[in-house]
Amino acid sequence: MKRWVLGMRDAFSEVLYNIAKKDKRVMLVTSDTGAICHDKFRESLPHQYLNVGIAEQNMVGVAAGLALAGKLAYVYALIPFATMRCYEQIRVDLCCMGLTVTVVGVGAGYDYSTLGPTHHGTEDITLMRALPGMSIFSPSDSIMVEAIARLSYKLPGPKYIRLDRTGTPLIYRGIKENFTKGAAVLKRGADLCIIATGRMVYNALKVSDELAKHSVKATVVDLYRIEPLNEELILNAINKFDFIVTMEEHFLRGGIGTLINELLVKNGKRCLVKNFGIPDKFCRQYDGKREYLQALMGLDVKSVSDTLIRMIKK
Amino acid sequence: MKRRMRKEINIYALKKKANWVRNKVLDMGIKAGAAHLAPAFSCTDILVALYHGGILRFNPKNPKWKSRDRFILSKGQAAIALYAVLADLKFFPVSELNSFTRAGSRLGGHAENTVPGVEAFTGSLGNGLSIAAGLALAAKIDNKDYATLALLGDGECQEGSIWEAAMLASHHKLGNLTAIIDNNGLSAIDFIDKYINLDPLADKWRAFGWDVKIVDGHAFKEIIPALKDVRSRKSGKPLAIIAKTVKGRGVSFMENNPIWHYRIPVGKEIKSAKKELLFKYNQEGQR
Repeated sequence: MKRWVLGMRDAFSEVLYNIAKKDKRVMLVTSDTGAICHDKFRESLPHQYLNVGIAEQNMVGVAAGLALAGKLAYVYALIPFATMRCYEQIRVDLCCMGLTVTVVGVGAGYDYSTLGPTHHGTEDITLMRALPGMSIFSPSDSIMVEAIARLSYKLPGPKYIRLDRTGTPLIYRGIKENFTKGAAVLKRGADLCIIATGRMVYNALKVSDELAKHSVKATVVDLYRIEPLNEELILNAINKFDFIVTMEEHFLRGGIGTLINELLVKNGKRCLVKNFGIPDKFCRQYDGKREYLQALMGLDVKSVSDTLIRMIKK
Repeated sequence: MKRRMRKEINIYALKKKANWVRNKVLDMGIKAGAAHLAPAFSCTDILVALYHGGILRFNPKNPKWKSRDRFILSKGQAAIALYAVLADLKFFPVSELNSFTRAGSRLGGHAENTVPGVEAFTGSLGNGLSIAAGLALAAKIDNKDYATLALLGDGECQEGSIWEAAMLASHHKLGNLTAIIDNNGLSAIDFIDKYINLDPLADKWRAFGWDVKIVDGHAFKEIIPALKDVRSRKSGKPLAIIAKTVKGRGVSFMENNPIWHYRIPVGKEIKSAKKELLFKYNQEGQR
């Protein structure tokens, strides 16, 4: 039972360690990040562990070279540094060449709630989604993280995995899901459909509980693979709804709200849509609790529930 | 030993080859209507030395041969010259060179790794040395004896990522890694020392833990001996070869003139460029 309380990054590291033990091609490349969670990896598998120092451009470039030599490289850093500081290298070295390198970013949304916008992961989905061939995973709990870590080992091409630093409440305990489909319907209700990703899946489930108190029944979809989007599954899930809601701890511009809106337009579906995400501003507020910052941006359970109830009652 | 090496290298043949490459590059560029001619002419002799001077290990019939040396053209804008060299070696048909950057061609304006013999997709300056370092590191981990070489522009050394890679290479004692810097003193729009001076360039590489050799980048008798032992160097340090070159080398009006970074000769210029590129070396390779 203990393993279920592991945080996302610990869960990921544990699985990667077990894979790397059996496959010498697997290499973990970090930029001076992830000290404790990778301790076992770097002590037991020193020849498969590489700390390039605080040099993310080189981290990705070196990983590209390793991949060209047949290695299966995982680059690991906090989200802003794993995605933005080295965006050029991800774009040209990994995506243009279609190399099998997995970019692991830690600290989705406001996970690093006391560290400010330099350490917030609020643009990564938009940026990674702009790159042809990049697969994007946004797991919602540690059980899924373990599965995605294993899937990433088998999947060729460039990949991005967006992790929370610490544990999120478990969503998939007791649920049979192999995480290959890209999205999972966690709850079924007839009045509206909430599509959420990452940490916001938990909030979406709580929102659905709140709505139920007002006799509003919500379907909740966990969109855990953002690219390539399983359009068929999503369209099937939202088909009968007149009201679709998206939730993400990420800027509204270019995130999963944008993605779903594009899907609706492309398929000529007319319905009411509400996108919850971070509005167009940097969060220069600080608190030990991530939920405090979420609330400031209207992403907490109460704000979302109140907004939805207001919209429904109109 | 030295005498034997000198005997092995047929300077005349190499000069003739380099001249063929320059002529081909000029034709390709004119046909395409756009090309980085001067950057290509700057490193033509280096490329010919690598592929015809007995430096690189490769197999045109099997471009992905596992034991091949890895050559990364980090200054990807010189791809036009690399394509000419590779086609001449039968990695792909010479006739394909006529399709350079034309509709449907795989020969892009920057090094396309879909072209047989091209190791990595480059053109975004500053990326190639990291890739090369990754390849060299993998060789070291896996105990492979291939050498990894990267050809950088000197202006490219203004990119911070070059120095990130330089630190990693020396820290990991990548003696199997060589960076050749095409040191022509010019970048896209100006003389480097006029805006962001790189000198002392050799001292910078030394300070980053590299062995440094300085050669005349147009003299085969200097380039080839400097590169001769890249696969079996005793030093644990990576090797930087600073090749002093002339941008636009071979066509006097292109030489050392910033305007020719991405210009194609037109009208009378074509005639005089071709005239200057007529092969006129004697048996000793002297012009």
